[in-house]
This record gives sequence, structure tokens and C-alpha cells, in this order.
Amino acid sequence: MLKRNADRILIVSVFLLVALGVVMVYSTSFMVALERYGDKYFFVKKHIVYTLMGFGAFLVALKLPYRAYRSLAPALFVVAVVLLFLIFVPGVGHKVGGARRWIDAGFIRFQPSEVAKLGMVVFMAYLLERKKDRIQDFYTGFLPCVVLPAIPIALVMAEPDLGTSVTMAILLMVMAFIGGVKARYIGGLVVASLPLMYAVITSFDYMTRRIVAFLDPWKDPGGAGFQIIQSFLAFGSGGLSGVGLGEGRLKLFYLPEAHTDFIFSIIGEELGLIGVTAVIVLYAGILLSGMVIARNSREPFGTYLAAGITLMLTLQALINMAVVLGMLPPKGLPLPFLSYGGTSLMVSMASVGILLNIYTAEGDR
Amino acid sequence: MKEKKEWTKARISIIAAIFVVGFGIIFLRAFQLQIVNKEHLGKKARLQYLKTIKINSKRGAIYDRNLKELAVSIEVPSVYAQPHKIKEPRRVAQRLARVLSTDRHSVLKNIRSSRRFVWVKRQVVLADEKKEELRGLSQAGIGMVKESRRFYPKGELAANLIGFAGIDSEGLEGVELYYDRYLKGSSMLIRTEKDAAGRTLLFEDVSARAEGMDVVLTIDGTIQYIVEKALKKAVEKTEARAGVAIVMDPYTGEILAMANVPSFDPNNFTRYSPSYWRNRAITDAFEPGSITKAFLLAAVIEEGLADRNDIFYCELGRYAVANTVFHDTRKYGWLSLRNIIKYSSNIGAIKLAERLGKERFYGYLRAFGFGSRTGVDLPGEATGLVRSPQRWSAITLDTMAFGQGLSTTAIQLVNAMSAIANGGFLMKPLIVKYIRNHEGQIVKRFDPVVVRRVISEETARRVTNILIGVTEDGGTGVLAGLGMGIKVAGKTGTAQKPDLEKGGYAEGRYIASFLGFVPARKPHLAIIIAIDEPRKGFSGGEVAAPVFKEIAKQALLYLGVFPEDGPTHERVTTVRKKDRNPLPENLAIERQVVPDFRGKTMRGVLDIAMQMGVEVNLRGSGTAVMQTPPPGTPLKKEGAIKVVFR
Repeated sequence: MLKRNADRILIVSVFLLVALGVVMVYSTSFMVALERYGDKYFFVKKHIVYTLMGFGAFLVALKLPYRAYRSLAPALFVVAVVLLFLIFVPGVGHKVGGARRWIDAGFIRFQPSEVAKLGMVVFMAYLLERKKDRIQDFYTGFLPCVVLPAIPIALVMAEPDLGTSVTMAILLMVMAFIGGVKARYIGGLVVASLPLMYAVITSFDYMTRRIVAFLDPWKDPGGAGFQIIQSFLAFGSGGLSGVGLGEGRLKLFYLPEAHTDFIFSIIGEELGLIGVTAVIVLYAGILLSGMVIARNSREPFGTYLAAGITLMLTLQALINMAVVLGMLPPKGLPLPFLSYGGTSLMVSMASVGILLNIYTAEGDR
Repeated sequence: MKEKKEWTKARISIIAAIFVVGFGIIFLRAFQLQIVNKEHLGKKARLQYLKTIKINSKRGAIYDRNLKELAVSIEVPSVYAQPHKIKEPRRVAQRLARVLSTDRHSVLKNIRSSRRFVWVKRQVVLADEKKEELRGLSQAGIGMVKESRRFYPKGELAANLIGFAGIDSEGLEGVELYYDRYLKGSSMLIRTEKDAAGRTLLFEDVSARAEGMDVVLTIDGTIQYIVEKALKKAVEKTEARAGVAIVMDPYTGEILAMANVPSFDPNNFTRYSPSYWRNRAITDAFEPGSITKAFLLAAVIEEGLADRNDIFYCELGRYAVANTVFHDTRKYGWLSLRNIIKYSSNIGAIKLAERLGKERFYGYLRAFGFGSRTGVDLPGEATGLVRSPQRWSAITLDTMAFGQGLSTTAIQLVNAMSAIANGGFLMKPLIVKYIRNHEGQIVKRFDPVVVRRVISEETARRVTNILIGVTEDGGTGVLAGLGMGIKVAGKTGTAQKPDLEKGGYAEGRYIASFLGFVPARKPHLAIIIAIDEPRKGFSGGEVAAPVFKEIAKQALLYLGVFPEDGPTHERVTTVRKKDRNPLPENLAIERQVVPDFRGKTMRGVLDIAMQMGVEVNLRGSGTAVMQTPPPGTPLKKEGAIKVVFR
């Protein structure tokens, strides 16, 4: 059943999430938009434009044969690295909230880490396919699969964006595992990177505070623990069936930027556990159909790429939800398809297009 | 190769399974927060809202029946501080103290508080330049928000009835309390905690809040003014403790005036002791005394036990029942029914009560509404007390015949008398005509409510004829008579006050009362006057009846039903457009000089007098032709302005 309908489940899940995203972006942003821009539709209008652009990216990716990415992969790797370098170039890189995460290309501003993420997934799939016969070998198989991805990851970490770099690292390591790298090599790598993580966290004051606040948010409810506590209160107020769409109160003043990273909290408040469960089920739908597509691809490149994309989308969702539920330290990561934000939405939509292309390519034969 | 592929598939399945478990954990965590901890977190969230400041919306107004404002809300700024934003508290306190003319030290103490939000001064009236200066302090954590402040433009007028609202715009007494639900609008919440972005979270936009509704009373401000003036004068003249008066439209049950002495200024209600706030007309039950005879009379006639000319032996002023001897003030022999009432013979009343019997007397008293609340829409109404016959002693029937051994409120009495006046229907007293929202649409209307028919129309007519005798020559209430072709029906009451310490009745302490309606055969007004413990004079006929007369006369003049058969209604309505040239009056009010009343109708004169708070003495009817002192002379505190109408 799942095997035959994987494409339908995927499309339905994605489109329901995107539609819910438009509604929730409006519900969470109208007050802030009214206060800041005097137009309560300010954010949702832009979000609808992004959605349409994302739909375009989806259609393009759907038509583009995925095998073409194989020959493009080395170039994509270079592009990703260059983009991440550009962030540090004064006048091009754009600082928001103390970290350089944006590139201002004149006509459009975008987050290169979002693009780099997809580029790296493609590159990793390419790399794993090329190394597949030697994959169990430490020097010729494992090492290239670690060293090459480490370059962009390090750049993202230097932005500084620890959350995204860790997410990318996990994603690429999981891909490596699927590609056949020995589990103990990966485990060893994780253990080896712990001291590095510790060093990074302690060297950035705000990161330390976030971790402390995560461990005991109630210790400083007015300061560092503020957001996460407000998120708890949002879920708690929602209960089973929620306070009703648009009726949430926490987004008004208590959860700033609720339309981006904390949109899931407001879903919890306004739509309750029922809405929360529906969102989880939709992501699980993406996960399972994506994994079916990966398993059914006859080419290793298709398998790795499909698995990588699926994991990229669902891992972000998992981490975002875990953060707003207070199970992981706070980090700025959007919820794919739901959060306000152009780059993330377009990349996610394009990814789904690629996934479906892999699925239909199998059907052609 | 094939093997390898299977191996990859297996690894994919492992990862998928791990992720599914991850989603499962997310669900369980959400379940924990949303279902298990719902109470706890929901309470926390509510507590967080409670840390907000409640700003009330504009409270609805209270009007009299002619839409004159009795209570209004004006929007005035309240000054607050957010202490954590204040960097130089001393300097800020100094400037604040100067602008608000308050004490610098208390301001400083206030703005050094550890709270995130404190009021510096609430509901202040500020000149524009001072507001400007305060706006200059906004960066320093000082702000203003508009709040609604209650203002009673007519001061003491109907104060005990209207009550008052507190600083948070909540009704505390009277109509303000009873109709608080309608008067108060919605309130808005303002958060005082800082948020992550450190935004200013206070709005000044008041228009977004829904305003309260307006309550339009049945009270006529002018009649209320007439009643208060007359009552106050009488209480002062007789050196009484207190007094109440109610004027009611007997056909509808609408209360046109309800006055209390002592009263208070609701604009400064905190300066008075709470006993001054009380609306005695509603809250105080007292022994009605001989007024009760009017209702005994009605019962006797309704039951067909006697008619106006049937005679009763009054025992020459001494009548022994059980171990008690009852007296009359004069030694009457045989008295007709109408003369028993006219002279208010106690022994005659006892004879009537004996003929009626316990059960029937009790039944009629209850039917007239005694011993139960009238249900008037005002807080704190007393029930009064009418014991059931099983609990009566050997002489209770006899004492109740002249109004001892039961207690009633003024509102019950005037309401019961209205039933005689209107042909037999007990009405529900009404205090509110309608409630309208701030767009002017009527939300709730109060139509007359018939509680029950108590006596037949024929009985009512006969009782009225006998009660007219009370105010005619030789009757106890002759001082209530208006003459000039207008008949008054009524009954005097002179009730001894119970001695609460020694038991029995206190020596020389009375409640003097008069209860009646006018014009007797086509009643417009039912009026009760009750004066508590007068020291100069004691009887109802002496103390209360003249007050009735004064109120009845002026109120009827004002209503244009004087004399009885004149075409006066039209006259008053056609000249009501008195605002053709309103300026001279306003000028007179401003300069505190005697206004020019000439050419005005009686109603116009009373309106102006009410606005200025001066006493006027009215003579004749028609339009004003003469006045002393002449217009333009400075107002004196004492003495009425005489105005002659022709």
C-alpha cells in the first residue's frame, strides 16, 4: 500500500503542511505585523509569495531528471562552500541578531546554509555512490566521507550557527551510515567531536546561557528561560482541542517571532493536542513515503539522495519540535513547510520535487 | 551486489524506525504538556495574564427620563511608571512631583519599587502643556494611559439612589452597583512584564474597547430636585434625624423621584461615612403607624363589611382588649367609617379590624405587598415584617389596625398606595426605563408589570373618596391639601419608634409620615413622605403633610396638570423649546448672579434653578412675569427667589 502510494502520501502530506503553514503564519504574525508595519497581512502576504515561488521550485525539480545532479555534485559542493565563505565577506554577508547567516544578493536575501544543506546532501549521495565498494575501508572510504563534509560544517559553525552545523553533521553521518560506513567509525567520530562541541559552546556566551536555560528554564523565567517557558504555557493552555484558531494569546507578546521558530507552540495552543498530532502524522507521512522511495530506487545515487532529502526534512522537523517542547536546547531552526521564511520553504519544496522525480524515474523503467 | 542492496535497505529501515520513535517521543511529550500538565501550565499562563494591568473602558452614563446626565464618565489620563526603566529616579521624581503637584518623596518611593509597573497618580486632570512635559519623560519610563473617571454633574441629586462607582470603574452602590453589568464595558489587559524584544507594551488606544451601556432611569431630575429641596427643608425645619420621600407614577409603577436626607456628594463619596450612602427608602423598614388604616379600609370595603356612612362606636376614647387599654387622642362616640379615617381614630380602626378578622387582614396586607420585597431593581431592599396570624398575640390584630406590630419600607407603602390610586393593581416599582448601548440602540426596555389585582376598581374609587376627606377641613392631613380645585387623597401616620434598648416604645420619638396621591380622581403622582424623629412637631399631619403639599404642587405645575381640568399639557410641551437663547442663563450660572426667569415656563424656571442649585418660590401658573430679586443681582446663599407666573 505504502509502496504503491508513496508519491500520493508525500504530496498530500506536504501540501497539507504548506496550507496549514499559510494559516498559522497569518494567525501568529498579524499582531506583530500590525504593530510593526501597520498591516496585519504584512508577513502572510510575503509568505504566500514564497509559497508560490516554492511551488515553482517544486515543479522545476520535479521535471529535472535527478541523475543530472550526479554530474553536478562536485560543482554543488564548491558552490556550497563558496556561498558559506561569502557570508564572511563584508558588504555581502548580512548580520542578523549577532550572527552572519544571510547573503544579500541585491534583489534577494537568502540564507546560504539552507541552500548548502541541500547541496551537501546531493554531494554526499554522489560521494557515497562513488565510494560504495571501498566504503568499509577507513582511509579510502570513511575518511573522505568525513573530511569533505567537515569543511562546510565548520564554516556554518563559524557563523556562528552551532545548531545548523550539528544538524548538518548528524544528517551527513546518518547518510554515511546508510551508505555503508561502519557504525563504530561513526560512533567514534561522535565521541571525538564532543570536546570540540564543549569548546565551542563555552566560547560563546549566548550558547552557554541557552544550554543552562534548557537544563532549568524555571530558574530564570524572565530571562534566558523565558521563551521555552512561554512555549510550555502555550502547549498547556491549548490542552486537547486548543483555544481556537487565531485565539492564542501567547503569540501576542510572550512568544516573539512566533511565526518563525515557535510556530509549533502556537499550533499547540490554538489547535491543541489534536493539531499537534496531525502535524506529527504528516511529518511521519513524509518520512515513511520518502524512505519507501529511497528503498525502491535501483540506483544507489537515487537511494542515498532520496534518503538524504527525507532525513533532512524530517530531522529538522524533529529537532524544531523537540526544541519548542523543551527536549533540546533552543536553537534557531525553522519547521519545514510551516515556518515563515522564504529560503527554507523554497529549498524544502524543491527537495520534495527531487524526491518525486526519483520515484517517477523508477516507474519509467 | 544484491546482498549489498538488501543491507542498505535494512539500514534505511533502522533509521526510519528510529525517526518514527522520535516522532512518538514528540507526541508523548506534547501529551504530557497538554493533557497531564494542563492544569498546572494553564494556571501559570493565567497567572501571567494577571500580572497585567486592567484598564477599564468608558463606563456607560446614567440619565434621568429626559436624558439629563446624572452620572457620566470622562476620560482622564492616569500616570504610570515602569521603575526598571528609570535611570535617574531622583530627577524623574522631582519633575513628576512638580508636574502633578504631589509630594516628591512619595513619588520617589513609588518609582523605586521593584515592581515593573506602578501608578504614579491616577485620574488626574492635566493642562496640555503638563501632558506635553510628561510625554517628554516617556523615555525615562513614565507614561500615561487614558482611564475613565466617574463624574456626577448634579452632585447630591439622587445620590443615594444612583450610588457611585469606584476608581476602577466598578459600581459600589445603588444603580451603579445594580446595573454594573451593563454600565461597565469590557476592559483590556496590558502586560507589564518585559518581553524578549523589550517593546513598549502599553497601548493608549481606548477606542478599541467596547464602551459600557447607558442606563436611563424613570427618575425625573426636576421632580427629584423639587422633592429633595422640600424634604431637606422640612428635615432642617423640624430638626429631624432623617427623611425619605418617593414619588411614583401610580399607573406604571415608575419611580419619578426617590430622595433621602441625609445625602452625600458622590463625587467625593469617601468623605462621608457609609451611613450617608444608604438609600433608606429601600433599606429601612419601620412601623407605618396610622397609614396602615388606609389598607385596612380598603380590605373592609372590598369585603363588603362596611360603607362610608356606616357608624362605629368609638368607646369615648378608652377601649380595653385583653389586658390592654387603647386610647384615642379625642373622645369620640359614634363615628362613621369615613370619619374614622378622617380623624384617624385608633379605636375605630380596631373595630374595623375586629370585623375583618385576623386571616383576612393578614391576607390583604400581604396582597398589598407588605412583608415581601417589591423587587425594585436596587440593591439592599428590605423585606419588612408581617407576622402570620398563628404567631399573633391577643392584641396584635388591634395594634396592627393602627400600624403597630408590623414593619414596612417606604417603597412598599407608596407602591401599595399606588394600587388604590390606579384602580386596584399592585405594580412592580420601576427604576429604569431602558438600557441602550453606546450606539443608541435600546438593549433592554422595562415595561410596567402588574403583580396582581388587590381590590376592585369600585372599591378603589370608594376608598379614594374616603381618603380625600383626610385632607379636607377637619381631617388629620388638611395641611396636605392643595386647594385650587385639586383634591388630594391620603393618610397621615404618626408612629412611635420602638425603643431598642428598653423594649416597648420610646417616649417622644416618632416617624411622621404622609402617604397619598394627587389629583385624587385622576392621579398623576403617588407620594410618600416619612420624617424620622422630628423635634419640632411630631405628627404626620403637622410635619409630613406640608411637605407632601409642596412637592405635589410644584411637581404638578411642572408636569402641567394644574389646575386639574386645564388644557395644561399642550401648553407645557409647546413652550418646552426653551433653548432659543440659552446664553443669558449660562452667563448667570457662570457669574453666580440671579438669572432672568421672565418669560419662562415653570419647567424652564425649575430647570435653571436645579442647575444653579438655588431655591425658587413659585406663585401662580403660566409664564413667569415677575421675580425678586431682579436679574443680575449676586446670588445669596440663603433665601429663595420668588417667581410669579401669570
